[in-house]
Amino acid sequence: MARYAELHCISNFTFLRGASHPHELVERADALGYTALALTDECSVAGAVRAHMAARNRRLKLIVGAEFRLSCGLKFAALAIDRGGYGRLCRLITRARRAAHKGQYSLTRADLETLPPQGCYLLWLPGPRIEAAEARWLTERFAGRLRIAVELLRDGEDGARLAELSALGAELGVALIASGDVHMHVRARRRLQDALTAVRLNLPVAQVGSRLHPNGERYLREPARLARLYPPRLLEAAAELADDCHFSLDELRYEYPREIVPPGETPAGYLRRLTEEGAARRWPDGIPASERTAIEHELALIGELGYEPYFLTVYDIVAFARSQGILCQGRGSAANSRVCYCLGVTSVDPQRGAALLFERFISRERNEPPDIDIDFEHERREEVLQYVYDKYGRERAALAATVIMYRPRSALRDLGKVFGLTPAQSGRLAAVMQWWDGSATIPERMREAGFDTDGSLLERLLPLAAELTAFPGFPRHLSQHVGGFVIAQGLLEELVPIENAAMPERTVVQWDKDDLNDLGLLKVDLLALGMLTALKRAFALVNAFRGTRHGLGELPAEDPRVYDMICRADTVGVFQIESRAQMAMLPRLKPRNYYDLVIEVAIVRPGPIQGEMVHPYLRRRAGAEPIDYPGEEVRAVLHRTLGVPLFQEQVMQIAIVAAGFTPGEADALRRAMGAWKRTGGLDPFRERLLKGMHDRGYSDEFAQRIYQQMMGFGDFGFPESHSLSFALLVYDSAWLKCHEPAAFACALLNSQPMGFYAPAQLVRDARAHGVEVRPVDACVSVWDSTLERRADGEPALRLGLNLVKSLSLAGALRLIEARTRRSFDGVPDLATRAGLDRKDLEALAAAGAFAHLSGNRHLAFWEVAGSERPLPLAPAAPAAAAEGRPLLTAPTEGEEIVADYAAIGLTLGRHPLALLRARLRAAALLPASELHAAGNGATVRTAGIVLMRQRPGTASGVTFLTLEDESGQVNVIVWERVGRAQRRALIEARLLEVHGELQHQDGVTHLIARRLIDRTALLGQLVTRSRDFH
Amino acid sequence: MAPLPLPAGIEPEDREPSRAAPAPRVVPRTAARARAAPTPAEAAAELWAGMQLPGIAPAGALQRLARSALQYTPRVSLEPPDGLLLEVQGSLHLFAGVAGLRRVLAQECRRLGVTPVLAFAPTPLAALALARAGKTHAVLDAAQLVGQLATLPLATLRWPEEVLGRLARSGVRTIGAALRLPRGGFARRFGTAQLATLDALTGRTRDLRTALRARVRFRRRRELLCELESHQAILATLAPLMAELGAFLMQRQCGLLELECRLEHRHAPPTCCVLRLAAPLADARRLATLLGERLSALSLAEPVRGCELRTAALVPQRTDSLELWQPGEHGGALSSEASGLIERLRARLGEEAIHGLMLLEGHRPEKAWGKTAPPAGSGSGPAPHRSTSRCSPPVSRRPLWLLPAPRPLTVRDGLPRRRGPLRLGGEPERIETGWWDGEEIARDYYTATDSHGVLLWVFRERQAPHGWYLHGVFG
Repeated sequence: MARYAELHCISNFTFLRGASHPHELVERADALGYTALALTDECSVAGAVRAHMAARNRRLKLIVGAEFRLSCGLKFAALAIDRGGYGRLCRLITRARRAAHKGQYSLTRADLETLPPQGCYLLWLPGPRIEAAEARWLTERFAGRLRIAVELLRDGEDGARLAELSALGAELGVALIASGDVHMHVRARRRLQDALTAVRLNLPVAQVGSRLHPNGERYLREPARLARLYPPRLLEAAAELADDCHFSLDELRYEYPREIVPPGETPAGYLRRLTEEGAARRWPDGIPASERTAIEHELALIGELGYEPYFLTVYDIVAFARSQGILCQGRGSAANSRVCYCLGVTSVDPQRGAALLFERFISRERNEPPDIDIDFEHERREEVLQYVYDKYGRERAALAATVIMYRPRSALRDLGKVFGLTPAQSGRLAAVMQWWDGSATIPERMREAGFDTDGSLLERLLPLAAELTAFPGFPRHLSQHVGGFVIAQGLLEELVPIENAAMPERTVVQWDKDDLNDLGLLKVDLLALGMLTALKRAFALVNAFRGTRHGLGELPAEDPRVYDMICRADTVGVFQIESRAQMAMLPRLKPRNYYDLVIEVAIVRPGPIQGEMVHPYLRRRAGAEPIDYPGEEVRAVLHRTLGVPLFQEQVMQIAIVAAGFTPGEADALRRAMGAWKRTGGLDPFRERLLKGMHDRGYSDEFAQRIYQQMMGFGDFGFPESHSLSFALLVYDSAWLKCHEPAAFACALLNSQPMGFYAPAQLVRDARAHGVEVRPVDACVSVWDSTLERRADGEPALRLGLNLVKSLSLAGALRLIEARTRRSFDGVPDLATRAGLDRKDLEALAAAGAFAHLSGNRHLAFWEVAGSERPLPLAPAAPAAAAEGRPLLTAPTEGEEIVADYAAIGLTLGRHPLALLRARLRAAALLPASELHAAGNGATVRTAGIVLMRQRPGTASGVTFLTLEDESGQVNVIVWERVGRAQRRALIEARLLEVHGELQHQDGVTHLIARRLIDRTALLGQLVTRSRDFH
Repeated sequence: MAPLPLPAGIEPEDREPSRAAPAPRVVPRTAARARAAPTPAEAAAELWAGMQLPGIAPAGALQRLARSALQYTPRVSLEPPDGLLLEVQGSLHLFAGVAGLRRVLAQECRRLGVTPVLAFAPTPLAALALARAGKTHAVLDAAQLVGQLATLPLATLRWPEEVLGRLARSGVRTIGAALRLPRGGFARRFGTAQLATLDALTGRTRDLRTALRARVRFRRRRELLCELESHQAILATLAPLMAELGAFLMQRQCGLLELECRLEHRHAPPTCCVLRLAAPLADARRLATLLGERLSALSLAEPVRGCELRTAALVPQRTDSLELWQPGEHGGALSSEASGLIERLRARLGEEAIHGLMLLEGHRPEKAWGKTAPPAGSGSGPAPHRSTSRCSPPVSRRPLWLLPAPRPLTVRDGLPRRRGPLRLGGEPERIETGWWDGEEIARDYYTATDSHGVLLWVFRERQAPHGWYLHGVFG
């Protein structure tokens, strides 16, 4: 049979055009016996690594290339022949992408002349009308490396086309090759391809008309079919061209940046010097012998693998942040090394933490870089990013990409449009899927949403939705990674193309973090953490108010009052342990020291929960179950957690000690855990693991449990190395909440949005802890919330202007400036001198900030409505002064509360439900405070504002609700069956009445819902919003 | 014997311009846009009935109600989309006071199948506000008016949302609260227009209302003194009517789109002949020609004893006789000429026989063209859609004659036959598309020559049983 290589093929990384995954194309081409496949996504190599990984163990050769359409219409594909050609290709893509907005590209003939893709073959891709001039232009410039691609797609003109191109080729002396303009691996993807075209053009498919492909020939065709269509020499020419291309992504060699080492020093010497200096600071009384040994071991391993530049890069970034006063903290296994402790990347005292498995992240066997995440104050991370760009230049540093995949919601929304549904209908269709999955129920949901479900629409739509959402996720576009930076010594754009992100001043590479990992490129994660911002502010407030010098990791350690508070689950606002699930765990786990916090942070996670590790641990901790170990080797690994594996590292260590994995294999296992969702790659380990443990005498049940936990960690693993760093922040934030509740609440308010709770709950909680909270006042408040000194010397919290909805920052600043010169004598004076426009004035009036100037809100609005911005140079209008005082009624309490919520999202008055209490009582609905008094198993009725809805993926269809009334909060559990039957009330109600059964356990009260009734109407105009997590 | 023309009939019509036929710019003198408000002297004795239709009143209900309300008072004023005002002071004595009037109005509403809220007050706005608030009060005494209005929500005045919002934020939600505010301060904050409304509401100032205005149509009837059978004679009889129509249209600068000619007989029901035009036409001679064409195609059941011309709603007419060139002659508007042709063809062959063709986007041959209305003669109509995409197949590959539906062909030895074996020419064109609407096709199209040398367009189904079909014939 004739040899053939497909040289023009796009994958679904040519977004909304290609209809098959790179791996599908590779597998299919290989199965068909093609000698090679060129992946030529449009101006992109985003799918190349995936295709490369799929082709790794196959006979099929993968060629990296890209397709381009110049702005003049000329279309060609470039195929990398060698490493140099690949670099040129990447530069060309970078040029085209950087010249256009995110997701688009722009390339001209001039670009091609200034940046000729040497080291690449060029395929001219003539359009439906053959423009000979294009071929001539290309021939003049790229004669030897140019081919004419003949694509016969059975449009009835194949013969004429072949004849015309043959004649043109003969005239120009350019050879012809066969290719197929492949958009999908099998023709069965034709419908999906049509649908994607419609999405791309933003039209219903019925209106796309002739811009759809007329038939489904753009797939990987069987060689026998091709042999009937093409002359044999054209097929052979394609295969020969492929033979000439010998570049492989395996050739990419990454080099660390060099400028992190001062002149005259070696990376190793510099790292040792910094480590020694840091060690002297950390252990002023001399380094303990065990630590000295560990440091030497680490430095030796780092040196052996040549990772000094990596640690030095991280150090450099952290040092910059420190110099700017930006709080930061590293996490991750490498971060918890002694070296990082000495470098100041973390504050986790290795002795206080645990002996970490250093080999876990630096594997001798696999040449992969270690991974360190650094968290920064979220409001100042941008400064760090810009520092990195400035230091290394945009040619050498860029963010990793994130591939945005279709989710059920987005797939249905897009497909709805494809089938001509109105945006509202599409929205409803997608909303149907919001809380529920499981395709069995879709028709039912559709009917509920008012769709005619007799079928034909669904019959066509659902299979496409299934294809879009099927594993491993259908890519829709490229976005930026939250903070993964790639930094290179040479030109990054010769390694991977760089394109513009949506945010100005941001650039991303075309590969995501998994791609980078697969090719072993360095990545440093620079992440934003709201709690660091809040801690920074809280320290500043406390230090200014009390004259102390508190700082991160420098608070009095192991304060029992702090742990008492934590054990009461009194943790609103505390880092990590404020969520409802965490609060439910605290009274059961009863943390009494730092390491307990490390466990607390990690235990309420899918890994331990799905691995059923939580209850055994709690029982052992409570002494209700003997602590034993399935084997001696395991004791060393698990003694910290009483014989129950809770951390990702422990699972790996068990794989080493109990199943005979090498550290390198265990590392592969860890990566598989993180990636198994992506590639389904955990199975190969399963047998190995179970057999290894069986051979070493462990029970199958234990082995199964370890395996289950690995699956769980894949979902959201929480490694001890991250937990160790987080627990420090848990303690610091808890200490502040315990001892300085006013400063803590103030810092949280000023750092919004962050955390689990809205300002209303934070303020409520602060007042419950005795903090005096003072209202927003145009005569006193500044932009941020502040502390004011009370007569007794204690702080009171003054709400800031930043809480006022739709007040502009500029207006607020003018207000403050005018006020410092002279205090205001009334609203007109304020409006005039601060130069506030009507919108700002109304915002302040709505917030009740004029209480001291004009009285109640109604009078404030009357005054605001009468305030005109004075014309320049004109005296203040006398009309206002002459006006009589209007006869306005004062707002009622209910009106004040509604206005408070609408304007600042919280009220310092009574809780709205206090006003409804009489009616609620009449309906036999109990307030939260009385609920706790009712006995276990009692049937009760209550009602509250829905603060939160959560549907954790681990909880098999259970929804957790948090209701709030004037006396406190109620935690409601809605089992799937109940939720399904009363779905509308569950999803839509803002004020919800719940009938159900009380459950008290370990000091935690839950209400198991039986009946849900939407009482939102009682709230009238009150605007509340729940935070929904799922 | 000269026939006696009857006076032009003027039917009262709602004043809402219909979409198809914008209201004429010239209105008849008799229905001139009159101010319904009488002089101030009479005003003291005004009483207004406000009617508010419920939100889901059937379309057109308001107009029907307004027309019938003219029975009770000449001063009817529309408050679209759902309100109606009647000044009834003068009519009260005819209906035994408010209660009696309320009764007859309610009856009339029942007859029309609507259930409006009905309120009475000395000012039109107050009556409307009461009705909008759902109050069926009858406030007869101006002194009590403010007190009765005080509790009504301000929303009944239908001020802009933004104004109502600002008032609400000052705690002003009722008419009473608004009336308590200082006038100057109120006007400065919420606008003089709103203050004027308040004044009109309370009767402080006159509220001038636009009365219902009638719409015109042309209608002339002519009785014949003898019975006519000949089309020519009938046409001649119609000529003066046509001339009058022409003058009528010219005075009003209006054209018509539809002209009905009724021919009356002794026994048989009248013969109706409706002339529909592609573009508004005012030229009496052309109208007469068209009508003649139309009449000549009619067969009359009996001799004609009388005839009547009626127009549908008139539309404004643009004069286009000023063009330098005659249409079609030297680059004059082709469309004008085409519309003349279209009208004549329609007049001869009937309405449905004439339609336009357009190419549609898409690969399915049977969906690649569609019927369309003939282009409107005004020249402003949409140009026929043309497929402009690069991807669409060259028209030369498609036959001019496409069968309405593909016709199965017999097959022998795997090859299609039609009056003998067909010779397939060239390579197939593959079309696979249309999966989204249940009319998916997957075919390989060929050109084929039959034994008579006729070039055909045939296809083979890609799906089993791979049937062959004839789909078109090349010209």
